[in-house]
Amino acid sequence: MGRPVKAETIVLWLCVALVAIAGLAPIAAIAVESFWQNGHFSLTYYRELISAARFWPLLANSIRLALATTAVCGLIGVPAGILFAKSDLPLRSGFMWLLTVPFVLPPYFVALGWAHVVARIGTIASDWLFRFGGCVLVLSSVFLPITMLLTFASILNVDRRLEEAARLASGWPGVLRRVTLPLSAPGIVFSLVLVFLLAMGELSVPSFLRYPTLPVLSFTQFAASYNFGAATAAAVPLAFIAFFGILVESAFLRDRDYAFRSTGQTLFISLRHWKTPLATLMAALCFALVILPLDALFADAFSPAALHEAMQRAGVSVVRSVMYSAVAATILMALGFLLGHFMRGGRQRVLSALTLALFAIPGTVLSIGLVRLWNTPCTWFIYATPALLILGYTAQYCAVTTRLSLAGLMLIPTSLDEAGRLSGAMWARRLFRISIPLSTRTLLCAWLAAYILCLRDVPIAIMTAPPGGDPLPARILTLMANGAPPMIASLCLIMAIASLIPLVILARVIPSRG
Amino acid sequence: MSYIEVDRVSKCFGDRVAINQLSLHIHRSERLVLFGPSGCGKTTVLRLLAGLEIPEQGSIRIDGRVVASSGKNLVPPEKRDLGMVFQDLALWPHMTVQQNLMFGLNARRVQKHEAKVRVCDMLRGVGLEHRIDAKPHQLSGGEQQRVALARALVSRPSILLMDEPLSSLDDERKDAIVSDLLGLQSQFGFTLIYVTHDRVETGLLASRVCQMRDGRIA
Repeated sequence: MGRPVKAETIVLWLCVALVAIAGLAPIAAIAVESFWQNGHFSLTYYRELISAARFWPLLANSIRLALATTAVCGLIGVPAGILFAKSDLPLRSGFMWLLTVPFVLPPYFVALGWAHVVARIGTIASDWLFRFGGCVLVLSSVFLPITMLLTFASILNVDRRLEEAARLASGWPGVLRRVTLPLSAPGIVFSLVLVFLLAMGELSVPSFLRYPTLPVLSFTQFAASYNFGAATAAAVPLAFIAFFGILVESAFLRDRDYAFRSTGQTLFISLRHWKTPLATLMAALCFALVILPLDALFADAFSPAALHEAMQRAGVSVVRSVMYSAVAATILMALGFLLGHFMRGGRQRVLSALTLALFAIPGTVLSIGLVRLWNTPCTWFIYATPALLILGYTAQYCAVTTRLSLAGLMLIPTSLDEAGRLSGAMWARRLFRISIPLSTRTLLCAWLAAYILCLRDVPIAIMTAPPGGDPLPARILTLMANGAPPMIASLCLIMAIASLIPLVILARVIPSRG
Repeated sequence: MSYIEVDRVSKCFGDRVAINQLSLHIHRSERLVLFGPSGCGKTTVLRLLAGLEIPEQGSIRIDGRVVASSGKNLVPPEKRDLGMVFQDLALWPHMTVQQNLMFGLNARRVQKHEAKVRVCDMLRGVGLEHRIDAKPHQLSGGEQQRVALARALVSRPSILLMDEPLSSLDDERKDAIVSDLLGLQSQFGFTLIYVTHDRVETGLLASRVCQMRDGRIA
């Protein structure tokens, strides 16, 4: 007689199955599709793509844009994260959450805001915005919070005793250079890799600012020509770059997975006479990157007529967006927590890399795969319903909730679970009675993060929403073609409120230091 | 025949050999102290006995039954009928003292009424019946030690493993808990395996001492 299958193993395989159905199967489907033409194996799509005059410039544009965005985010986000985590900068908490705002909105909102700003200035500014420089500006302000917040979190995790020991031998610059930053390096490098991959796969901003990149080409092949093979062939380089990025990150992080726990207190750097100049600089940054474009975007949003029209034309989309995001966030929270639980102690590394790769793969690529896989007569019940959209969200963002859960679970001593085991409790009982009650804050953070990410998502929303059931970011994009600007502004405001409410809760749940 | 038999067990963590061909025989109701410097493998022996680690080579028998053998845990920790007091005590911070003790009894499906009686008896035994509704952070260090001891014993295991549980206490509290422990051992008759690097604790508790060095019995 074989050994009985444990509940833990069954749940692990169910989670793996969900990740496979939502993410791996669609990617596999389009990979196969791109090598298939008229019922035969063929490299035609790739041959056409590579020989097309536009392919190489588009690839170069995508890489150039991603590199420039990563450089700007690194140059601003890392010092900002250090300042917020370690210094006595006045209003640091307010600055940090204000700089986070662009990330929780659909990326094209910031582009739209800048379009309003340059419209007031004139043609020269407008020419600059609708090019490479404008794209870098917008994407940098959207992705800056990733480097800033991950640097902040990594630095807070450094045990103050290690810094105190170093302070006995060196001043703060030396301590930061030799102790704090090397210990925080895994988090910082991870944030930079993420920014690079997200910028590579970004669709809405280059599309809106008319800067040609590979994701735009892939989307056009899919939406305009409905040519799956060509769309996939254009998307495959992006998928390869995403996997390569994950490999680079894994190689860098090898042997750098420092297992230490914060003592809950941070050693502060006193800025003394630098306090006012740095606070002024930070205020200027917040004004330039957040207040200026969003003020321009929302300037016309408050008129009752515009708000009324917005609700009439897209009220249902608002409800849909909130509902889809809430359902997806709940699934993502549960899936992420279980995966985090399984990955604890360095287990299931392949699964961890796969979820991260799914996060790094552009939403356009994933969506093409989902449509390709599920658009069959037998699977109509998924393709024609919000289930497809929710599968897309699940695949794209499960890495986020998994890593958040893992970070929270790492703070719980393993001996608590071991003590439960020795008390005779099986896996499920230990999960429900020990791990979950001790992780309520982690679960809430994971849910809110997933909700925000799903709500702001554009590519999956555009490409996988059921007919007549588009969420708000997709609806706004559609209405932008022929809607009145004040009504569009009002819709953006409604969307921003729906995104900012969870951000405010998140800011209250996560203490500003530790 | 010995109650616990550890037969040529080895355990590595990466390149480091923690336990090297260790053999050990322990009799029923014995009070064995594993004594040795930090890093010599004492805690690993406890974790192997508990089933929290799996031996790469060798076998472990408890009461004549093979519980682990060369890379396999044949009996999971929850089925080995043992209690453990961890070095960091591992009291569940979100549960009260009573809930900490009830957890194992509920998991083993002990009747509710009987479980309550056992919890009260055990807490009385360690002098903490008045702290039944307190949460771990509301207790002093000595009280937390007693709760951990009570939790490990409430399900009446036949083996109690203790991993340097008294290292953070002053001498007076240490003496009081050692005295409680000896009383409970004579009452319940469990086999005690106690890990320490403290000679005084060793002298107070041991009916036999095994000195460890470099993953072996010296």
